[in-house]
Amino acid sequence: MDRLLSLATMYELFFQKFNEKVPLTPEEQEQIKAYLTPKKLRKRQYLLQEGDICKSIAFVEKGALRAYTVDENMNEHVIQFAIEGWTISDLFSYLTAEPATYNIDALEDAELVLITRSAHEEFLKNLPKYETYIRLLITGAYIALQRRLTSNLSLLAEERYTSFTETYPDIAQRVPQHMIASYMGLTPETLSRVRKKMADRR
Amino acid sequence: MKTIQTIAIIGASGNMGAAISKSLAKGNYRLLLCANDLNKVQAVADEIIKTNPAASAEAVDCSVDASWEADIIISAVPYAAEKEVAEKIREVANQKIVISIANPLNETYDGLVIAPDTSAAEELQKLLPNAKVIKAFNTTFAADFATPVIDGKQAGAFIAGNDPEALETVSELVSTAGFNPIVAGKLAVSGTLERMQLLLIQLNMKYDYNWLAGWKILHQ
Ligand SMILES: NC(=O)c1ccc[n+]([C@@H]2O[C@H](COP(=O)([O-])OP(=O)(O)OC[C@H]3O[C@@H](n4cnc5c(N)ncnc54)[C@H](OP(=O)(O)O)[C@@H]3O)[C@@H](O)[C@H]2O)c1
Repeated sequence: MDRLLSLATMYELFFQKFNEKVPLTPEEQEQIKAYLTPKKLRKRQYLLQEGDICKSIAFVEKGALRAYTVDENMNEHVIQFAIEGWTISDLFSYLTAEPATYNIDALEDAELVLITRSAHEEFLKNLPKYETYIRLLITGAYIALQRRLTSNLSLLAEERYTSFTETYPDIAQRVPQHMIASYMGLTPETLSRVRKKMADRR
Repeated sequence: MKTIQTIAIIGASGNMGAAISKSLAKGNYRLLLCANDLNKVQAVADEIIKTNPAASAEAVDCSVDASWEADIIISAVPYAAEKEVAEKIREVANQKIVISIANPLNETYDGLVIAPDTSAAEELQKLLPNAKVIKAFNTTFAADFATPVIDGKQAGAFIAGNDPEALETVSELVSTAGFNPIVAGKLAVSGTLERMQLLLIQLNMKYDYNWLAGWKILHQ
């Protein structure tokens, strides 16, 4: 029963978000659905590992994922989180077919809707509304990237943390603190000091 | 590819399902094994882990969940059960590779139960219109998986399908299993491949190959 329910809602949030960006007719929705890939991922499993070519954009129906890089000293640097309603991928690799520089894994059991490169190309050819959707998606990703870059370069640790928790309150609740520290370019110790200082002040 | 691919094997407790599972466990794959009887697939999973502790194989109760998680689905059930399985997994198999290994034999193994102008693979494709059905592993006997090199020669394994990327992925699977992959053509070639195996079965019975036989293409 539970499973039948989740099968019925496999693409629900995906189309809700799509329709918010570009309204679709039921026929267009069916046309798109035929090319989507439903995929479950369990906690700690990879969707993508660095060096492979990123074959799909993943839309999160349920669960949480992160994208991160690993430096020469094996330190992880979180690039992006994604929870319900968000998309995650290595866009560089997806669009150029060059090897990915990101790793993407699941922080919680997840249900995803994948847009593979071949689906992407099919949509671009036959569905002008998809072009609008993907433009808005990439624009959003670009804005987020720029905002994050500026924040890491110019804001103080405390301002960065406040801005993060205000912009992404849900993520701050669900994701381990050391990953949030990594996302903000802080050590876990610095983040913990910042949080303590903020708590003491309250 | 570094990223681990997840493969659902439906019918993993059968002769073929177990043989395929054991040989793919050597590769960079995570295997989800399912069938009707969970105890039987659990035994296969246990055996895989016992012989290869680094392998990733898990018995899963439901073919729908396994196929939902999977990147690749192998239908290792008898031809007669394929319709039922396809109806169950149709939604979650969308855009995924589904491997058809079935030979639609009659009960006396001297003919096929299918019309001459079609094949088990093409019938499966009709049942799963949005999946990438690939014919593979139908021209190898279950016993060949333990001995893919027969009489000093590596057996060939034919593959047919319409999606080039999917054919490449399945070729890698066939190589991992120890066979020499030969892409035979589009999915419509499946009928020939299924009839080739009918011939091999008849030869096996006539000349007593002990089910250890295969195809090899000689060429320059
Ligand atoms: N044997 C060979 O050498 C060979 C070679 C090439 C191709 N093939 C093809 O491979 C396929 C399997 O052959 P086999 O010899 O391995 O048969 P098998 O030993 O009878 O195994 C059949 C498997 O399918 C499962 N199964 C049956 N009905 C099912 C259903 N409705 N839902 C889920 N699972 C179901 C069975 O599980 P339960 O026991 O739990 O029901 C069992 O695991 C056939 O299509 C055959 O043509 C066989």
